[in-house]
Amino acid sequence: MSELTGKLDELRGRFDAALTAASDDRALEEARIAYLGRSGEVTLLRRSIGQLPAGERPGAGKIINDVVEAMEAALEEARTRLQLRAFDEDLAQRIDVTFPSVAPMRGSIHPIRRVLEDICTFFERHGFAVVVGPEIEPDYYNFDALNIPPEHPAREGFDSFYITDTLLLRPHTSPMQVRTMQQHRPPVAIIAPGRCYRRDAVDARHSFMFHQCEGLLVGEQVHFGHLKGMLTGMCRALFGPDQSVRFRPSYFPFTEPSAEVDTTCPTCHNIGGPCRMCGGSGWIELGGAGMVHPNVLHEMNYDPDVYSGWAFGFGLERMAIVRYDIDDIRRFFENDPDFLAQFA
Amino acid sequence: MRVPIAWLREYVELLDDSQTIADRLAMLGFPVEHIEERPQITGVVVGRIVELDKHPNADRLQVGKIDVGTGSLLTIATAATNVAAGQTIPVALIGAKLPHITIERRKMRGLESEGMMVSAEELALPPEWFEDGIMQLDADLPLGTDVVEHFRLSDDVLDVEITSNRVDAMSMIGLARELAAAGGAPLRLPSFDNPGTALDAPGVAPRVTIASADCTRFVTQRFDGLRVGPAPAWMRIRLALAGQRPINNVVDISNYVMLETGQPLHFYDDAGVRDRHLIVRDARDGEKLTTLDDVTHTLTPLALVIADEDGALGLAGLKGGKTSEVSPSTTSILLESANFNGARIRRMSAKLGFRTDASSRHEKSPAASLTSIGAARAATLLTAIGAHAYAPHDFGEPLEPAAPIHFPLRDIRRLLGFDQSADRTRRHLESLGFGVTPLDGDAFSVVPPPWRRDVKHRADVVEEVARMAGYENVPTVIPTIAPHEIDGGEYHLEQRVAASLASLGYNEIITYSMVGADSFAKLRLGNVDRQTEAIEIRNPLSEDQRYLRIMLLPSFLAHIARVDRPLRIFEIAHVFTHANDYIDETQQVTFALAVEPGEEHAWHDPHFLRLKGDCEVLIRELTGRTPETVQDSRPVLHPGKMAAMMLDNQEIAVFGRVDPRIEHAYDLRLRVYVGRMLFNRIPPYIAPRYNPPSKFPSTYRDLALLVDLDITAAQVEQTVATAIGEFCVGVRVFDEYRGPGIDADSKSIAVRATLQRYDATITDDETDDLIARAIAALHNDLGARIRA
Repeated sequence: MSELTGKLDELRGRFDAALTAASDDRALEEARIAYLGRSGEVTLLRRSIGQLPAGERPGAGKIINDVVEAMEAALEEARTRLQLRAFDEDLAQRIDVTFPSVAPMRGSIHPIRRVLEDICTFFERHGFAVVVGPEIEPDYYNFDALNIPPEHPAREGFDSFYITDTLLLRPHTSPMQVRTMQQHRPPVAIIAPGRCYRRDAVDARHSFMFHQCEGLLVGEQVHFGHLKGMLTGMCRALFGPDQSVRFRPSYFPFTEPSAEVDTTCPTCHNIGGPCRMCGGSGWIELGGAGMVHPNVLHEMNYDPDVYSGWAFGFGLERMAIVRYDIDDIRRFFENDPDFLAQFA
Repeated sequence: MRVPIAWLREYVELLDDSQTIADRLAMLGFPVEHIEERPQITGVVVGRIVELDKHPNADRLQVGKIDVGTGSLLTIATAATNVAAGQTIPVALIGAKLPHITIERRKMRGLESEGMMVSAEELALPPEWFEDGIMQLDADLPLGTDVVEHFRLSDDVLDVEITSNRVDAMSMIGLARELAAAGGAPLRLPSFDNPGTALDAPGVAPRVTIASADCTRFVTQRFDGLRVGPAPAWMRIRLALAGQRPINNVVDISNYVMLETGQPLHFYDDAGVRDRHLIVRDARDGEKLTTLDDVTHTLTPLALVIADEDGALGLAGLKGGKTSEVSPSTTSILLESANFNGARIRRMSAKLGFRTDASSRHEKSPAASLTSIGAARAATLLTAIGAHAYAPHDFGEPLEPAAPIHFPLRDIRRLLGFDQSADRTRRHLESLGFGVTPLDGDAFSVVPPPWRRDVKHRADVVEEVARMAGYENVPTVIPTIAPHEIDGGEYHLEQRVAASLASLGYNEIITYSMVGADSFAKLRLGNVDRQTEAIEIRNPLSEDQRYLRIMLLPSFLAHIARVDRPLRIFEIAHVFTHANDYIDETQQVTFALAVEPGEEHAWHDPHFLRLKGDCEVLIRELTGRTPETVQDSRPVLHPGKMAAMMLDNQEIAVFGRVDPRIEHAYDLRLRVYVGRMLFNRIPPYIAPRYNPPSKFPSTYRDLALLVDLDITAAQVEQTVATAIGEFCVGVRVFDEYRGPGIDADSKSIAVRATLQRYDATITDDETDDLIARAIAALHNDLGARIRA
């Protein structure tokens, strides 16, 4: 028995030394196999019990079992120790977090579309549909149906590109009002964005190609206050929660009453003074709006005594200029990569 | 329009500062674009030169004794040469503040000067519009009168924008009327009684023959006993502040009345009109007319002229003619105060290529009743400068009162969203000159004043109500939208395309829709067919914008050439072509890679494969399905490096490398790979069906094959997949090699087949068996050999 105990003690000593020396899980596993594996030293010793006298066997078995149990515990403890040491080493690592990031390959949406998306999202949330249409339109859609007959002085304001005597590149998105009302009975609630063209010489504020966003709501009990409400909401979605909207009387043949719409200048917060964006007035001009003219409703076979509605048409470039503090309308069409990258 | 506040004060009391007046005008619908601040000048009074002598010590100076009404004469030296004893002039006293100087007592060449004789420039008036030297005032002004206060020279000038429907407000009285109505102040109008009415006209009375339907009314009146000379100082100053150059008393009166009332006038030298008979008629073809600006026009019947029996005297509503021009020796004149069809005047002005202050009013069709008012004001002012006024004569259509408009008061709530009392509404409308008669059932019968020809409908009355109540009182209400069936799907598809391409690393650009004819040549589309397919703009701004794009590529190439750095860009825009007898306008997306040129194998192009991958992802994103790529050939793209993407045998997209000859035409250093997709070819999205993963592991085998050069990767993959059958879960060609070690007519292809069962782990034996079948099929169908 004591011979067995002695052997076990000696073996245990070597095993503990191996565990202490082990620096990783593989070394521990090697130690386990060498001592406790199928042909490990302890396993071989256990097999040798059979050669002992029958009376000594149970005692010897228990001694070996106790030792095996202790060795397995030591092994587990060594594993834990190694794990903790690994954590400590890992956690001791320090990197320079200010090192430049690995740039993902990422594109960008043009600022005009970004502004448009926010407008459309706002209006869609309130039940409007976004519709799109052609850029070449007959003069009927551009003018006649909108209460601008031939010879009307307002036609002068639309210096248009003509394809034929009667076909032109639309100078505004209002033809979509006509198209939509021709195809649908009221209620009609649409937003119609798109490219428009006028023969303006290009400078910091003018472009012969630009984007407009048309809005139209026609139904029963639709009034001017609803227009102010929706435009206030739109300006808050675009420029911030404190925006308000001002209407000034104006004139458009297809609306009556008509208004110019201003919103508080988000650059100087309506304070005015030497503000580059609003020129000191504290207000930003957004564009024209008004109640749909009864002649337009009538042309669409909508009864103006039953239905009323409003429409607006705003330039998206203007809104993007104000929103992103852009200095020149030409930036939108130059597509400078450094410009576009700022909208990624 | 330049509007001196000083002039407005003639008709309405204005107590507020300029900014407040400007704000009020803006809220009435007349935005003020600019406020011209006038300098604050003090200490300038009316004086008379009693004596004038040469300065004892200076040849170029004169010394005057000036009476400024104080009892003692001031001694003032001047270098001006237009001074003379007896003149009434503005005098700056000691201590006076002028725009650039303060007047102090000082010696001029040894002689004490007690002030300064003042020129128009020193009163901040345009010097080139006034006397060269000391300004001349009218003799009837009391000496010592404060000049600045009297002429209100320190009142600011507003630049007011007037919308085309409000020609009635293109005048001082028109704007004063609006301010009076909005401020509840009385409007003080001058008398519109014509002083000529009671007088007899000796000789032939003037008459007008109206031979064109485009002249609605014509008032003429004869004046004589006239002495042409400078207009009174007050009139010259008002005109100058309003931006109108003073000329002489007759011309100035016509301009003054136009600015005051909105009615353009014209004066003819009585001697220049045969028999005092004016004729309004279409011009004769080829008829010549020299206008006041010495330009000779050759006319067509499009022009409307005022003529006598001898020929055209002037362009109606636009400009007078040389032959009947009022000259310094004129003593007798004929007045024209006429009303024309605005559209005719606008057409004529557009055709002749010029506008005048008169035509800018005539073309907006002012009220016909204004003709008599204009004549009356002219007669009053001419009489005041000593002319004799004979009776006015009216020709043309009788004046019709405006038709009453039925105005239900509920329209206020229905269209504006607020309520106000009937009394308030009535008061507002009446203050603007509307006639209001209450009717049964909460309605008014509203008669617009004669000058408001823009008010025709109930809705127009609603706007007047809103303007008077103030647009700021329109409430802010979020509406509840009733359900409708209008589809916004097209916009959402566009948004998805943009979002997908942005996520793939492409930057959205927006380029102009127009291109020049040269782009067709550069794109090697120079043959007649393609260029005539493009839509031509009749009136382009420049030659390089004459055509609408048939594809976005030329804009892309120009952009890439300009930027000259590697780019990934896309644009969504319309393209335009003639298709038979209609115009085909389609939404299209184009996306492109611009890459640095590098050495590549002739048979392998990683950029092409990158673009192909992007196309596949985009189409999967939009349709839910994976497209098939087939070789194709199109203009513009490299014949060996382009392909079409198909779904159900329908082409959805085309992509490939740009033809290098086109890159060269655009001076491109970079290589460009481009893909394009027409929106109307994109099939509806079909949700992919879910495939549950197998619980059992998969295995794979790689094969190295030698095949003929014309065998494609797709053929290899297809053959392997078919041969292996249902256990084949993936086949992918992952390498290609040509060159040393391989016959020149062969290429080496590496393909990986992945196998898996859903019911059990696939065994090595099964796998080997299936792969052997694949090898056999590759050999039999494609002539492939396993590479040793």
